[in-house]
Amino acid sequence: MEEALDKVLDDTMNMPGVTGVLCTDKLGLCLGARGNAPAHSSGLIATLANHAKALEANAEAPPIVCLESDSGNILIRAKDGITTAIYKVPSGP
Amino acid sequence: MVEAFNYSQELKQYLHRIIRRVDGLYAIIVSDRDGVPVIRAATENVPELALRPGFLATFSTGTDQASKLGLSRNKAIVSMYTSYQVVQLSKLPLILSFVASSQANTGVLLGLENELSDLLKDIKAAVDITVSQ
Repeated sequence: MEEALDKVLDDTMNMPGVTGVLCTDKLGLCLGARGNAPAHSSGLIATLANHAKALEANAEAPPIVCLESDSGNILIRAKDGITTAIYKVPSGP
Repeated sequence: MVEAFNYSQELKQYLHRIIRRVDGLYAIIVSDRDGVPVIRAATENVPELALRPGFLATFSTGTDQASKLGLSRNKAIVSMYTSYQVVQLSKLPLILSFVASSQANTGVLLGLENELSDLLKDIKAAVDITVSQ
């Protein structure tokens, strides 16, 4: 049933610099995770996306949240009820 | 005795801090298998019925039955209602229950399991000592 989603997750994992990927629904329930994206963080990721959306309620496109740290970057975006988080290697200096 | 009371108050305050932090979370209850609360923290938004032992104990039966479905032991049950949701986790001999708004983030509630694992370990140790005495 979730073959299409599995394929998208696997394809994303094969992109350069990607170390993990996670998809969650609007209730924060994990739909799929790969690599170093912990499935139990799905709730927090959905919350972050919701809060970011609330900051710009009138924006046409949903915001992209980027969390930068020494260990890596996490890009979060919510669209059509699905929130996706992509874990990447840290950006250069 | 006084020390035990202070410790229980501290635990309650800790649970209240978590309730304030998580949007839509109304109550956290740690109870035994019969639904008797060991420690609980609740706001005024929580329906009184959801705090009763009779309600909390239904999880014991539910998890026992769900464990017979051939998918190994059941760990958690999420019950969705019109206005509320109840997330219950099996932490034998204890049950961890969250009562929240139906709009609350279920994933965050399930994720609290990791955060509360140390607290549950302490309570479990205390319950084990009491049972063995």
